[in-house]
Amino acid sequence: MKRKCGFGKAMAVFLTGIVAFLVAGCGSEEGPVRNLAADDEAEERMVNMFSPMEKMEPDAENTARTAADLTVVMAEEKLGINVAYRTYTAEDYQDKTYDDVTLDRARNDMDDIYLLNPDTIMILAEEEKLMDLSGLESAKNLRDVVKTANVVDGKLVAIPQEVVAYGLFINKDMFDRYNLELPNTPDEFLECCRVFKENGIETPVGANRWWLETFVLAQAFADLYNGGNTEAEIAALNSGESKYSDYMRPGFEFLQEMIDCGYIDAKKAYVSEAIEGEGADFLAQKTPIVMAYWGAANSDTAYGRPDFNMQVIGFPSSRGQMPVIPMTGFGVGINAEHLEDAMQAMDIMLSDEALQVYTETNKVISPSKNVQVDCIPALKPLNDRIEENIYVLGSNAGMKLEQWGNTCLIVRNLLNGATVDACMAEFDKLQEETLKK
Amino acid sequence: MKKKQNENKVDKGISLFLSIILVFCTIGVVVFSVARKLSVEMSEAAIQNLSESLDLIECTIEAILNNEAEYQKIMAKEIAAMDDPEEFIRTYEKNQTMMKIALIRAGEKEGISSTGEVFSEEGLNFSSKGMIEGLDVSHSYLNYMGTWAYAMKCPVEKDGQNIATLYVEYVFDSLDRSLPSGFYDGKAMLYIMDAKTEKFVLKPKGMGERNAGHLNLQDFYRANDINEPEIREEVTKCVKNGENIMFYHDIRGKSSLNYMWMVNNGTLYLTGYVPIEAIQQEGKTVNQNIFIVVCVMLIAFFLCCMLYYFNQRQQIRLRKEREEEREIHNKQLAEALQAAQIASNSKTTFLSNMSHDIRTPMNAVLGFTTLLAKDAENPDKVREYTKKITASGQHLLSLINDILDVSKIESGKVVLTIEEFTLNDLVSSVDAIIRPMAKAREQKFHVEVTDVRHEYLIGDETRINQILINLLSNAVKYTPEGGNIWFRMIGLEQRSAQYEHIRIEVEDDGYGMTPEYLKVIFDAFTRAENSTTNKVQGTGLGMAITKNIVELMGGTIDVFSEVNKGSLFRVDLELRIPEGMADKLFWKQSGISRILVVDEERRAVNNIETLMKDMDVAVDTACDAGEVVHRIKEDGAKDLYQLVLIDWDMHDADGLQAAENIRSVIPSSVPILFMAESGTDGMDEALHMENTGMLSKPFFVSALKEKISERMAEKAGGHTAGAVEEGSLEGLYFLAAEDNEINAEILHEILTIEGAGCEIVENGQLAVERFMNSQEGEFDAILMDVQMPVMNGYDATRAIRKLERMDAVEIPIIAMTANAFAEDQKEAIKAGMNVHLAKPIDIELLKKVIKQYT
Repeated sequence: MKRKCGFGKAMAVFLTGIVAFLVAGCGSEEGPVRNLAADDEAEERMVNMFSPMEKMEPDAENTARTAADLTVVMAEEKLGINVAYRTYTAEDYQDKTYDDVTLDRARNDMDDIYLLNPDTIMILAEEEKLMDLSGLESAKNLRDVVKTANVVDGKLVAIPQEVVAYGLFINKDMFDRYNLELPNTPDEFLECCRVFKENGIETPVGANRWWLETFVLAQAFADLYNGGNTEAEIAALNSGESKYSDYMRPGFEFLQEMIDCGYIDAKKAYVSEAIEGEGADFLAQKTPIVMAYWGAANSDTAYGRPDFNMQVIGFPSSRGQMPVIPMTGFGVGINAEHLEDAMQAMDIMLSDEALQVYTETNKVISPSKNVQVDCIPALKPLNDRIEENIYVLGSNAGMKLEQWGNTCLIVRNLLNGATVDACMAEFDKLQEETLKK
Repeated sequence: MKKKQNENKVDKGISLFLSIILVFCTIGVVVFSVARKLSVEMSEAAIQNLSESLDLIECTIEAILNNEAEYQKIMAKEIAAMDDPEEFIRTYEKNQTMMKIALIRAGEKEGISSTGEVFSEEGLNFSSKGMIEGLDVSHSYLNYMGTWAYAMKCPVEKDGQNIATLYVEYVFDSLDRSLPSGFYDGKAMLYIMDAKTEKFVLKPKGMGERNAGHLNLQDFYRANDINEPEIREEVTKCVKNGENIMFYHDIRGKSSLNYMWMVNNGTLYLTGYVPIEAIQQEGKTVNQNIFIVVCVMLIAFFLCCMLYYFNQRQQIRLRKEREEEREIHNKQLAEALQAAQIASNSKTTFLSNMSHDIRTPMNAVLGFTTLLAKDAENPDKVREYTKKITASGQHLLSLINDILDVSKIESGKVVLTIEEFTLNDLVSSVDAIIRPMAKAREQKFHVEVTDVRHEYLIGDETRINQILINLLSNAVKYTPEGGNIWFRMIGLEQRSAQYEHIRIEVEDDGYGMTPEYLKVIFDAFTRAENSTTNKVQGTGLGMAITKNIVELMGGTIDVFSEVNKGSLFRVDLELRIPEGMADKLFWKQSGISRILVVDEERRAVNNIETLMKDMDVAVDTACDAGEVVHRIKEDGAKDLYQLVLIDWDMHDADGLQAAENIRSVIPSSVPILFMAESGTDGMDEALHMENTGMLSKPFFVSALKEKISERMAEKAGGHTAGAVEEGSLEGLYFLAAEDNEINAEILHEILTIEGAGCEIVENGQLAVERFMNSQEGEFDAILMDVQMPVMNGYDATRAIRKLERMDAVEIPIIAMTANAFAEDQKEAIKAGMNVHLAKPIDIELLKKVIKQYT
């Protein structure tokens, strides 16, 4: 009986509570008549940033882009600005390239900040379209290699968020299957390709129209950068005393042999975009070797989740496996509409704090001396070489002839059927034109 | 009936359950209908809302395009009027909208442009036949600034003749400035698509997610997982026909409204999606509120149902409890009725028995008085008849006493008289009564006392005695001749140091009882067999009285019996031990510090040791006389013992022989006591030995002390204090207050026969007055009835005792009353009487009492 009373009271309290809640919910706030239109705030501070757009897979996270976004958001929050993304990516090889569009836009002052490839850095720096970033607080922490690559006429024209190192992505399982050691020299590499070919692997090396130059550059400059006589050799090249073609020839002959032996599908490579052309076969384990940049090993949109034991090693050279480091970077237009905000945003995006976030997210090599994170196991062979200071620069602002873009274009000629001699003649011509300026 | 009720309950439960289900279904249907209606309406509103937004953007873009075309026409007219249009073109400076202008003279393939280089139509594609305000518009293309652009060409006419064509390049970026800075709070995605190439030429700022950029329609499909062929076909068809299309499709896990919205007759399309939640923000709130209200209603409804259910359950429980109570009550009533009937039957039977039992002795009394009258001259016959009359009267008296006892116990009037007593007296008195009865029936009566630590105890000796007499007399009655009766008194483990825990067992190997009778043995008015057909006579009240007394003392009584095997009654009592009873002084004064016990029965020896424990008297034991002789001779300690106890009933040796042997080694001054059951024959020779005596079994310290005292008194040459000679009443004169004439006459006659005189008054008042008027010493005692008219005996006694005369306090006043209970005795003593005698008058007892007080 007592229990019943208690239950009844509890029920009554509960129902009263519900009624009170509903009645309170029906009430409305009344106030004096006032203008309800919200006035727009003061004009928004904008910074336009031009960068390439990576094609998105449904529901896939673009980690590289996510990492950059995090630093952009940091800048937005700290400065109260809004960074608008402008993007372009060529649909196919017939379209204008990203670099072409970048040059057009930078020359016409379309944007404030540009993400630049090594060749465009050189071109725009020479045209004096880029701001000197050496005054930024964040520039003080940069590694020497970054400064070496991006200083033109004493101006630091671009700063990267990661040191991009290119390497060979190897399907170690397939190498093990045929008892192959990882190649150190071009000859060893060719031998591996021969064994794969003999065992029914139709195209042992997956390639696209952008990154085959890394083979050439590794062989060309292995001695230059690691022989202890770097400055003198560069000086000889800049004076015309030495010929670029002499450096480039072994790499081109190597590629020619690869093409001749069918280790590379030249026609396919000529029309393929990076990763799009060769990525699917590599992941499907039809192709044991591809080339790509460091971050591709971490990215879901590239080679982040292979079903096999993947290793990333340097390109074959006379000095063993050789990483190739072309220095990309963010540059600021010298006539940028929002120059001041853009410079401040750059300072934050490239600060140690931002680079720590970026580096941890992407597991890459940071351009800052103060930021270091462990790499994933697959990247260890490549990382070990870089830690030993053994690498080749893919671009060097200290060299008068721009190599990254030019070599790429000349390799395309090779793919398109040009002879090695014709390619070398092209280098000679370019060197001559450059030295004339 | 009950089944029907259950069926009704089940039906009620089912209908209640169905009602609840019906209400839930109704609410569900209503909520579902409302939600569905809301959903449809909100969907329509969302489509309407999005359509309006897109229309607005469409109109804005078309207005810009139209303005651009109008402006270009005006520019063409002005150029037509110029003398040097080329100069105008060369000097034109780009603005935010028009990036480049060019002019090609009619009939020429190339012309000049504002950027300085030679211009031809070759790089432009006007094949789509798109028009703005009548001007041809090209496909979109990446211009020299690296941004998406389109061109319009306008004929330059002068005097009705086409003299040139003006080309103007516009960038899509310029549209961005005229569009809203956000679309559905930045959650929607919007691109401007070139319909012909399906390239996305502008992503206005603030439109959609920042990290998602798309090249073209195919890329948009791929990135957003729009793979259904029918959707793609439908979109293609609509774009081809220049129609708007809107469809639902999930984008990155969110239900979204996708759209392709035509601009400028289908040359451009607004393409993108809006998550439904972005359009229906209010709808979501409304839905949540509806959901909350429904939930609250359901909870309230559910709680009401619960309340109703619990209420019903409570009601049912109460009803059930009431029914159970009623059933219990009815059962109790039935049982009470049955008990009453049984009691009534018992009482009827009892009355019948009583009638028989009372009539029988009464018949004897009356019959013998008739014979007495007839044979009055024959003294032998007169004596014989009076003897039989007396026996019948005694039986009648016991019947009446029992009836009165039951009556008192049942009415709760029994009061225990707690006094100190000894087990010795108790056992002796019981033995004295029962042993002759057993002997008369040639039964063997065994008395055993074991492990009792204290024989002085506090309790109602009379009532314990009554219990024992009841049990033992029953045992004698219900055991055939030659049977055995055991009376055991066993000391159990004490539960408290202040109480002796005693078990009394009365066992026989008699007729026994049936299990049925055992169930009712302690009920009043029952007998083992109908006494009218049984030789054994009794009131049928003894056991009921016994049980009630035991329980009144806080004890328990159990009975075990088998027919023809015998019965065992077991009574457990806890009796208080009086403080400071160890009478060590007696033994010291008696000069006894060590005694010798010769008994072959170990249990009996232990019993003696236990009882003598606190007396400061050493107890040595021996199994036989030989051992004693040997030990004394060996030790040479003849004077070691001051007393020797020898068991008379030893199997192996003759008690007499043993005594003689022992006597040979101990001085004759040391008394030897033979322990034997009372009534044992053949002891005369032994008792003739010097300084010997008999001590009744079982052994009690008090009995031993008494015996020692007697012997000491004998030694002193005096008479025993307890010996009271029964004298006659010769020469005594009494005042008797008695209102009943017959009783007065009987009293007068008896006293006369005894040689005494008496004066009888009719009530207390007269007694007081008579005593007042009497000479001092005139009366030797006053015999006072209690219930009398005018003044009762108690008041009269008090009045007499208050009189201011020497003998008023001293004169013995003896209550002679039919009020025969202990309380009556107490009341009498309290009123100042000396002693209480119950009627009918026992003349021997009267003589004894009078002798004692006069």
